[in-house]
Amino acid sequence: MPDNEATLEIQHLIREFKPADGDLMGALHAVQHHYGYVPKMALKVVARQLRLSEAKVYGAATFYSEFRLTPPPETLIGWCSGLACRLENGHGIRKALETELGVGMGENTADNKVGLHFAQCNGTCEYAPQVWVNGRVVGSLTAASTVKLVRELKK
Amino acid sequence: MPTYDELKVVGDAAWTAVEKPARPLFVVSINTSSIAAGARETYAALEALAASGGFDVMQTGDDGMSWAEPIVQVRKPDGQHILYGGVTQDKVADFAVAAAAGVVANLAIGVIGGAADGIPKLWDLDWAKMQVRWLMHNCGVIDPENLEQYIGRGGYAQFVAATQMSRDDLIELVKGSTLRGHSGSFFSTGTKWSFLKDATAEPKYLVCNADEGDPGAWVNRVIMESDPHSLIEGLLIGAYATGATHGWIYLRDEYPLAIERMNKAISDCLERGILGGDALGTGVNFTCEVVRGAGAYVCGDETGLISSINDERGMPRIKPPFPAQSGVLGKPTNVNNVETYACVTALMRVGADTYSTVGTEANRGTKMFTVSGDVGRTGCVEVPFGMTVDELLAGIGGINDGLAFKALQQGGPLSGLLPAAVAGPLRLEPEPFRELGTGMGGGGLIFLDDRRCVVDLNVMMAHFLEDESCGRCTTCRIGNQRMVEIFERTSRGEGRGEDVAHLKSLDASFQYSNCFHGTLSPTIMRNTLQHFREEYDIHLNEHRCPAQVCEGLVKYVVVGNSPALAEAAAICPDHIAAKGVQPNMDGRCSRGGACVEVAPDDVAVVDRFDGLIPLREIAPADVARAG
Repeated sequence: MPDNEATLEIQHLIREFKPADGDLMGALHAVQHHYGYVPKMALKVVARQLRLSEAKVYGAATFYSEFRLTPPPETLIGWCSGLACRLENGHGIRKALETELGVGMGENTADNKVGLHFAQCNGTCEYAPQVWVNGRVVGSLTAASTVKLVRELKK
Repeated sequence: MPTYDELKVVGDAAWTAVEKPARPLFVVSINTSSIAAGARETYAALEALAASGGFDVMQTGDDGMSWAEPIVQVRKPDGQHILYGGVTQDKVADFAVAAAAGVVANLAIGVIGGAADGIPKLWDLDWAKMQVRWLMHNCGVIDPENLEQYIGRGGYAQFVAATQMSRDDLIELVKGSTLRGHSGSFFSTGTKWSFLKDATAEPKYLVCNADEGDPGAWVNRVIMESDPHSLIEGLLIGAYATGATHGWIYLRDEYPLAIERMNKAISDCLERGILGGDALGTGVNFTCEVVRGAGAYVCGDETGLISSINDERGMPRIKPPFPAQSGVLGKPTNVNNVETYACVTALMRVGADTYSTVGTEANRGTKMFTVSGDVGRTGCVEVPFGMTVDELLAGIGGINDGLAFKALQQGGPLSGLLPAAVAGPLRLEPEPFRELGTGMGGGGLIFLDDRRCVVDLNVMMAHFLEDESCGRCTTCRIGNQRMVEIFERTSRGEGRGEDVAHLKSLDASFQYSNCFHGTLSPTIMRNTLQHFREEYDIHLNEHRCPAQVCEGLVKYVVVGNSPALAEAAAICPDHIAAKGVQPNMDGRCSRGGACVEVAPDDVAVVDRFDGLIPLREIAPADVARAG
């Protein structure tokens, strides 16, 4: 898509957001919801719409861990970093994920098929230790079942 | 716009249809925890059978029983009302027919209404008996997406009643109730409201802190997913008391269902004239909106949260000015959390007199807690202030597998950790915790059994605190980095005796940070140093981890050759291929101990430095989990 067309599309996405109205988070979410991430050029469009400096928008977009500035992988594995999971070998689950995927936390596989995301506890602690595969809880894991899960996802 | 009385007529009819259904009504709990257990599939399967089975299906929120999801309640025309647990999709076909016609004893947890032979009353169970459900009045009862049912259960009557009092009387009532911020701050809500009421600038704003980021705390999620209107009603009462005209509910990104249900509740209220001007003919002009957070724990600090709404990075700032003077968009603002606003609704509903009969002298009323970790009944409970930790633990089924209660980690990473002997007799209210140099926090209670390692727990907490520091204060930014380094090193077997002094010196410098994130970061470290010093010494001086948890202090050695070993090698060959410790791997594990899970008799976890001396027997529970 040519740049000016993309700009128009982003302008349309965030048309209802106003300057000095507590709208920056909403605008960034609207962009990410549409594209799956916040494209670099969107920072400029959002800044213009909300009358903020681009630096400020960039600062916010990179401050919050749920905004991503690169395209998401096909399958995003959110690893729960909470304590209830930690007690049940949550750290071992992380090691199994990283080793088996061959990537570190916050990275995607080279083919962008599977990515690892550092996620925060959402209170589904009954199913600890767990990961979220594209938002769906896969819980009561063991290190061994995690390895099997990843091998399945990589296929 | 309809008047309250008109809405009440419709609401009563809607609620009667639930309470006295014309044919069996299956009520499925749909909340984040139950969805993880497959409740959506259960719901769909029931719906597919409803027409032929002669029953109806409805959703409800969360009654706090994560341990029994997916939960289905069956209400009958004769008033019989039974709660069933573990109704997974595969059981639905048999369950639906049997439960519509009679009782399914093997899935029944308790009777709520009417009677059924051999099934206990739900509220006689230990888990339920200890609870007083004022905040959770509608949780697991109404359809959270149905405004009529909320009104039918008495909703929005509290707001109408509040507007018939003078604003000063209302604030005095809230002050007199002893209600203090349930987020963990425990600052008087009535006093806070009076600051906003007395502020001179206009307009005034309300902010609801729904950025519940403490790992192991999901109290506010339960309220928003189960009874979103109780929060809106609390905001409306606050708006009347303070003169605020607009509100923001700052809701964390990790709670998509809560966001969906709050937005639905707000738009229903706008449609019926409850929000958006002259609410229900009372003259109160208030509206509110959801701001979706994006994963920043430090936005739980009220000034960080306000920064985030103000189009800034969510960094806490120096006070004064306080939010009541200059908050969102520079205007006077009051910040309370979800449970606090909802508690005002509950207070108005039960009445100040009844409210004061429960709890302790200093803390009347109830508090919601979410319990997790090594306990039998993970979930959310609401108990009177002043119940002891031991009493609550007994009610949730005690520690798993008959193991001993080692420690309580309460209130998230900033509140603290106490050993069982100290925590057990403590009354659940803020003062006893403060006296011990900890906080009670906002409701998360994580119980640890005696297999857990406090150094490993500190590794996790230090990482969390470092990651979530906004970076403004050097003491917090660098202090947490140093804390991570020390604990990481210790867990690798490179701890030094002098690290204790280093940690104590860090603790002192943390105190110069601006916000609570910095000043409270060392709390768990300080608590564990005080109460578990021996465990530190073993790690730092002997380089051993008695719990066999710390990654760099154990190694894996092949000691057998049963068929399971080949299976384990297929999962992780690292140590097995070499029939012993791989020297180039330093004995470390790359897949979280998967080989021991699969072949527990063939791979031994041993002390990295002392050789083949098993530190503890492999627990039966670990063997059962393998594979």
